[in-house]
Amino acid sequence: MKRDSGKYLPLIPVFAVYLVLFLVGDNISGMWQLMAMLLFYCALGQAFNIFLGMTGYVDFGYVAFMGVGTYGMAVSITGLAHYEGLGFLVIVIGFVMAVLFSTALSLAVGAVALRLRGAYFAIATIGVNEGFRFLIEGARIWNGSEGMIFMAELNKILGRETASALATYWVDIIVLVIAALAATVTLVYMRSKIGYALTALREDEDAAKVMGINVTKFKIIAFVTSASFAGLVGAASWALKTPYVFPPEVFEIHYTVEAIIIVLLGGAGTLLGPLAGGLIYGLSKYYLSIFLPGFQLLIFAPIIILIIVAFPEGVVGMIKKRFRDTALGRYII
Amino acid sequence: MIYEQLAGNLVQGLVLGAVYGMATMGLSLIFGVLKVVNVGHGAFIMVGAFVTLWLFNSLGVAPILAVPAAFAVGLALGLFFYYIAVKRLLKGPELATLLATFSIGVLLEELIKLLFGSEFRGYNWEVGKIDLGITVLPMSKLYAALGSILIAVLLYLWFNRTRAGSAIRSVVEDSEGARVCGVNVGAAYAWSFALGIGLTVASGVLVTMFIPVGINPYMGGGYTLKAFVIAVLGGLASPYGAFFGGLVFGLLENGSYTLFALIPGVEPFALTRFFSFMILLVILLIRPTGLLRGK
Repeated sequence: MKRDSGKYLPLIPVFAVYLVLFLVGDNISGMWQLMAMLLFYCALGQAFNIFLGMTGYVDFGYVAFMGVGTYGMAVSITGLAHYEGLGFLVIVIGFVMAVLFSTALSLAVGAVALRLRGAYFAIATIGVNEGFRFLIEGARIWNGSEGMIFMAELNKILGRETASALATYWVDIIVLVIAALAATVTLVYMRSKIGYALTALREDEDAAKVMGINVTKFKIIAFVTSASFAGLVGAASWALKTPYVFPPEVFEIHYTVEAIIIVLLGGAGTLLGPLAGGLIYGLSKYYLSIFLPGFQLLIFAPIIILIIVAFPEGVVGMIKKRFRDTALGRYII
Repeated sequence: MIYEQLAGNLVQGLVLGAVYGMATMGLSLIFGVLKVVNVGHGAFIMVGAFVTLWLFNSLGVAPILAVPAAFAVGLALGLFFYYIAVKRLLKGPELATLLATFSIGVLLEELIKLLFGSEFRGYNWEVGKIDLGITVLPMSKLYAALGSILIAVLLYLWFNRTRAGSAIRSVVEDSEGARVCGVNVGAAYAWSFALGIGLTVASGVLVTMFIPVGINPYMGGGYTLKAFVIAVLGGLASPYGAFFGGLVFGLLENGSYTLFALIPGVEPFALTRFFSFMILLVILLIRPTGLLRGK
């Protein structure tokens, strides 16, 4: 009983950080954009961590789920723009479609690719991401390589002013909610049978199987959950913030790599890791682009290599070790 | 008419395929020995392209003769990156080597951009054409294909006729057993990585013969993806498998392009890429050891 009462305490620091980000952005002028960017990276990290961190499988095609989420929102907005008076219902439908698309794709990919392990899985997921992009372009699905631009439709549905307020303010609040939700789901999983099963399979998949754990089921649960959050992030941060979608952009592998860096930087498989990783990555990217424009990647790449070599456990992974068995330790997981 | 066009394109595909195969051998060699997927593969091909460009433009060296220089550059880069990063990550999770090799690729791209700028460049090496009746083949492409075959044969001989080659093969079979027999496993890993990168940078020279004005710091990404498909065709862990995978891929790419171009209302180029990734998935699922039986 005593252990159970503190089960969800680690969420306190997570929510506190998100609250601080919101308050800083809302009250200090000129800070909103930076805070919105940090929230985006934290949400991306939280979402990816559910799969990458908890299973140890490297999904190199993760951005595809953000991509189809973006398309889910885009298709809803363009398809429903003719109907008068739907208003915000269209946006809600868009998010539902984003989750449907990303869930459907992740079920299809998961059923196929999750049979593979290690490097084979990573290569297969790259293949899915690129293949899906070229299918959209080649067969001219959803306008093919011309993409979709739906600024006019969005303005028509919501009115110009509301649409602009949505893009510059409310979308970021939605991303904050998604990030907090993803963190909550992470902790719920960690504290349930799912989390223990995933830990077992991450350490030794064959042993976990022999012990009677249905590894396939738990891998797919983590994969689909993680993917549907990615779909939501895509629908909010990409489709609503910048109302257009082009296949080469929303399937760009660099976003997957950014997400991997965030998870690894913070500490894979920890609750606070993606938050720490998102903040460190977002802040350094932002300030490097101000002080050393054009050289961000040149500076980033060797730093990333150094971090992987020297601190493979990530920031939170190290802090967690340090504070184990102390009063603070129960908040840091 | 269409058959003649198809036959012509398949000949071109075979010539390109030989270079594709050579450009993937390094990836497969590194995976075969170290179980590391070099996600920065294409960046090393790009380095080879810039070595060619620089030697041709500033010293007037014929592109085909840039192969040894590029190979040496690749060996040096391979040893450097092996000792500063890869070696320390071999026992870690996949994530570490994948992200590290990706970052190495980004680092190379940015360094080359700093040195040469990011615009598309090329060179003009006129050595005539040969008319095969169904298609016209520039001699430079033919030299590139012959160079690829020669390098593949040399690699085969090196692996099977020299002590160092046998040592690496023994490490692949059983690294503990090799250690007991007195093979320096650490050195075998280092030299395999260096050799893999050397082959890849050298292949960048041959690749430039197919893209007269397509040399750019970011040209590598597409080759990384193609190399994955080719390596999987050949079984991922076998350099010779990769070479034959390249031939098959060249034929499939040009053949499917010719056929997709007949369908109205689609983009044949994109569909060709889609088709190649479908092949990748199907082979990974039903025959992960590759099309050839593979060892």
